[in-house]
Amino acid sequence: MQGSARRMGVMTDVHRRFLQLLMTHGVLEERDVKRMQKHCYKVHDRNATVDKLEDFINNINSVLESLYIEIKRGVTEDDGRPIYALVNLATTSVSKMATDFAENELDLFRKALELIIDSESGFASSTNILNLVDQLKGKKMKKKEAEQVLQKFVQNKWLIEKEGEFTLHGRAILEMEQYIRETYPDAVKICNICHSLLIQGQSCETCGIRMHLPCVAKYFRLNAEPRCPHCNDYWPHEIPEVFDPEKEREPGISKSNRKSLRSRRH
Amino acid sequence: MPRGHKSKLRAREKRRQAHCENQDLGATQATVAEGESPSSACHLFGDRPQNLPAAETPSIPEALQGAPSTSNTTVPVSCTSSTEGASSQDEKSLYFSSVAEAWKKDPLNRKVVLLVNFLLQKYQNKEPITKGDMIKFVITKDKCHFNEILKRAAEHMELAFGVDLKEVDPIRHSYALFSKLDLTYDETTSDEENIPKTGLLMVALSVIFMNGNRAPEEAIWEVLNVMGVYPDTEHFLYGDPRKVITKDLVQLKYLECQQVPNSDPPRYEFLWGPRAHAETSKMKVLKFLANMYDTVPTAFPSCYEEALRDEEERDQARAAARAHSAAMARARSRTTSGSFSHAK
Repeated sequence: MQGSARRMGVMTDVHRRFLQLLMTHGVLEERDVKRMQKHCYKVHDRNATVDKLEDFINNINSVLESLYIEIKRGVTEDDGRPIYALVNLATTSVSKMATDFAENELDLFRKALELIIDSESGFASSTNILNLVDQLKGKKMKKKEAEQVLQKFVQNKWLIEKEGEFTLHGRAILEMEQYIRETYPDAVKICNICHSLLIQGQSCETCGIRMHLPCVAKYFRLNAEPRCPHCNDYWPHEIPEVFDPEKEREPGISKSNRKSLRSRRH
Repeated sequence: MPRGHKSKLRAREKRRQAHCENQDLGATQATVAEGESPSSACHLFGDRPQNLPAAETPSIPEALQGAPSTSNTTVPVSCTSSTEGASSQDEKSLYFSSVAEAWKKDPLNRKVVLLVNFLLQKYQNKEPITKGDMIKFVITKDKCHFNEILKRAAEHMELAFGVDLKEVDPIRHSYALFSKLDLTYDETTSDEENIPKTGLLMVALSVIFMNGNRAPEEAIWEVLNVMGVYPDTEHFLYGDPRKVITKDLVQLKYLECQQVPNSDPPRYEFLWGPRAHAETSKMKVLKFLANMYDTVPTAFPSCYEEALRDEEERDQARAAARAHSAAMARARSRTTSGSFSHAK
């Protein structure tokens, strides 16, 4: 690696507006990010050619680097939609969550997070989370109150709720992946293809390796006889479609697939 | 959970390998986690190796009992690819590079980083900021350097994000963040897909204005429903619209909620709050409204007249303020010259 630092980019109002808008939304899908980028150029620099999104973001990130902030790109676990969020890497006691939530609320999140990570499906049921309210640190919380707090987490895009069960929002995974990997090194699941944190996914019933749904989609694309990359056994699950930004958005997995996720044994 | 022994060793190894002059920053990073294992930031100014668990960054909320950890390796958008646009020897580019050098040398900078992150969080949540909170959550034992840290953080906010930090209440030491980029009013071009959260505010302000400067909540929802925004449905852009309007915007003084006089059972209406009066004007809001309905401000004659009168009053107030400050400046210079002549 060269010793000289990478040239630091230049921030203009185009970039600043982009940052402000991204911050306003918290997390955005790639389609909206691209439109937002074009909009920012239109407002400040009509005649300039719009940078490729990747370069545009790299430019901003090079300036934000010393502030331990970064625009991170991730992919939603259920249907492979690329998302972007402004992520704070220098979080100690000043994390996004710590200033928004009380001690008992943070502990509730921690409990939910643990249940989610330990679960087979990546989902924790509302009932199981609420049963832990007595163990929370801080002020005593009733179950009714805990239900509201869980909704607050959903609204703030830390959790997603589906049919009474909770899993991590893509934004939470973007922000907390390293924390989760360090805190739960034994319980954490990793995708065999992309090697990042896995909360929801499919697993091989023979050897137990796991893959994200979008990773499955890409790996087995156009493959009539999908086989486990590790043990070569038949891959028993329905292969989802690769996310196509051109098409109208639809849920990436069918109901039957969701069932096979849950009933899978380790 | 405490860091494992192996990762501590890895961290130490990486720090030894670092060949940039960042001992100061490295030392201060040691205390970022308030007593937990140190992390190094040397990779910041060298190249960040791709696809490799890079050197640590201080991370993870203490509240969630994290430990400094490695940066995310799954990001396909690599930070090491060369950036275009850095070719101009812009003043700003020089500023940013020199800032990077200065970072390594000054231990206060880690608090600046934390404060910037804190302020950003408050900005996103549209929450007021107090000096007390800043000291409690960020500055902690560096209280005596508060002003310096705040100043530097404010500079970063301005340069990187185009956001101004202003003290709105000098007695209670509360601050607020204002976008320099006029986001509030002009993100409303007709082919525009993304209306920021502040679009909700503009709609509310225009409904209130059109309704004779006070409007019941239902009137606001009538208009928002047409835009596909409903009170009890999570909205992709706005989140919880009801909370934004009835709680957040009121708390931030953009809107005021008052009981309708002599109403029984009590009914409530919304008015413009003091901050709305300060940051925008009837004319601007009317323009927003006209734009939304694809017409011109003069299409609303009585509102237009009222907006014109409002503009006149504002101009007069501005002129008076300028005259006043000019008079003050003259008075000050007279007294100083007077004292000098006495001294002689």
